Amino acid sequence: MTVTQGAPTRVVTRSEVEDFLYAEADLLDAQRYDDWLSLFVEGARFEVPTTDNPHLPAAVSGYFVCDDWNLLKARVKRLKSRKAHAENPASLTHRMVSNVRLGEQEGDELRLTANFIVHRSRDGGMSAYVGRYEHRLRVTEGGLRFLLRRSVLAHEHLTAGARLSFIL
Amino acid sequence: MTERRGPIGTPLVVQDWDELTFRVHRSAYRDDTLFADERTQIWDRTWLYLGHETELPEPNDFVVRNLGGRPLIFCRDTEGELHAFLNSCPHRGTVLCRESRGSSKLFQCFYHAWTFRNNGDVAAIPDQVAYPDNGFRDTMGLRSVARLETFEGFVFVSFTDDVPPLREHLGAAADYLTMIREQHVGGMHVLPGTQLYGVKGNWKLAVENAMDGYHFSPTHNTFVGYLRETGFAVDDDDQYAYNLGNGHSLLILTGHGGRISMLWEPRFGEAERERTAEHRREMEQRLGSDRAHLVADESHILFVFPNLLLFDLEGLSIRQLEPVAPGHTDVRAWQLVPRVEDPDVRDLRMRTMVSFVGPGGLATPDDIEAYEAVQRGIEATAGDARTELDYSDMSRGMASELTDERGRSTDEGAMRGFWRHWVRAVGQEPLDIGTPPPPRAEPVPQPSKRPHGLDEILAGLGAEAQEVSR
Repeated sequence: MTVTQGAPTRVVTRSEVEDFLYAEADLLDAQRYDDWLSLFVEGARFEVPTTDNPHLPAAVSGYFVCDDWNLLKARVKRLKSRKAHAENPASLTHRMVSNVRLGEQEGDELRLTANFIVHRSRDGGMSAYVGRYEHRLRVTEGGLRFLLRRSVLAHEHLTAGARLSFIL
Repeated sequence: MTERRGPIGTPLVVQDWDELTFRVHRSAYRDDTLFADERTQIWDRTWLYLGHETELPEPNDFVVRNLGGRPLIFCRDTEGELHAFLNSCPHRGTVLCRESRGSSKLFQCFYHAWTFRNNGDVAAIPDQVAYPDNGFRDTMGLRSVARLETFEGFVFVSFTDDVPPLREHLGAAADYLTMIREQHVGGMHVLPGTQLYGVKGNWKLAVENAMDGYHFSPTHNTFVGYLRETGFAVDDDDQYAYNLGNGHSLLILTGHGGRISMLWEPRFGEAERERTAEHRREMEQRLGSDRAHLVADESHILFVFPNLLLFDLEGLSIRQLEPVAPGHTDVRAWQLVPRVEDPDVRDLRMRTMVSFVGPGGLATPDDIEAYEAVQRGIEATAGDARTELDYSDMSRGMASELTDERGRSTDEGAMRGFWRHWVRAVGQEPLDIGTPPPPRAEPVPQPSKRPHGLDEILAGLGAEAQEVSR
């Protein structure tokens, strides 16, 4: 088989992407952070922009989360520690992913958007976080991997108690 | 709601000069009546931080925000002059501007279409002939705040005329705002992208937390570990806390991390080391060696009473506190960055600062956990017949108040200064037990023993250059 440059390495279906996102959601709800980190390409980033300017890049805007690979690894290490007080005991999270849409695929890179709802319970209260994923994935023969994992909140602000101590 | 205040006449702040203890009654964090008193005695009576002038870069720009519970429009008029208007139509009180920000020459109330220019003048009252022709229209301009003044780009307002000039109110805190401007030759500006979040805790818990170096190692254990792994050892020696007067306070930190473009540390990477040396040479020229040392080599956490916290650390973050209820505070945080900055440095700055501060960082969530856990925990002693249990303790390092010594950053002296100011503001004196020491002047901030960072970085670069040449 010949592969022309820039052509998809292989066809990715929406159901494959959905399965990937559902599996990721389960890993996070189960706090299996090492397994979750293995879903990333080394060097990947994780971003959560602020609610008031969700479309500006991090160089010109404040962010809630703006992790390069080192910070992402540090975040995972922190979440696994007993000393991450904001997540010890861990928040109980429950994730729903829907409205999955595949964007352009250029070579082995695929863009996708999806909607999320995360319910988080802790300290006798529940917070709902709703928004949209704007991810970039690397398509490999072995599966899909995050190049950029970006969660964009559809909120005016984070209500009282609704911090981002967990992975959104 | 249940009355959670202590018995009538309960002293809110008790300082025992024989036992050297300092205690704050926990109703201060949870009582509705005290919260209402704070509104009238503090938030309606003193200068409040509204915003930074660079949030409104162009004429006609506006943002809306609540301050001390009052909805405001913060705008530049067509001539470029700054205003703060009550965001409430003078006609029937409707919220006039329902956008959170934008650019507009006019504000029109949707209810009856009264329209105002962005300098506050009435532009149109529909069907005006039904009103008396006696200057009625001229009385119906937008209501301004009583006072608005700016210092080093930081815009403060007051809801009463009865306040001293802003510069006088800022007092010793002012120079730390000037130092921020001096960091970069082109000055600083606020980036769009505001961290808007709420915490289930009293606003004073956020102030205490910022002035509390004692919590840093246990609360931020995972962040301290992260810094250690990147080659930086957190050190609390030679760090002090100061009361600056008027309720303002300051921590001077030298052992908690580098400062982007001013004080290099390994996690910033090699390219940044060269750039830092270059910028430090420029600062040396522009500010002179002593001033450059002060501006660049010390990190500051500055609290300007009652609602402004400035985190001048690896980068610069402005945090504004907006009390909503005794157990609920809204927080707004902005990144203040050099106007002119190399894109690689900007990227490093944003990653580094956001990684620490903010509700999604590696440290601030643990602070929020602390405020919220205190707010829940203090219900345990509310109304207990053993009234002495319903106090929080802030005695740490109080012995230094009997001498001329500075308080360490890991003591609780800055908190004590804050609470003494607060309790007088709400109309009580601290209750003294034993013999209070004679009044003394607060220790004045002293430079740290830290070496000049330019020498250090040149020595570091020099050592590597020597290694390469060998």
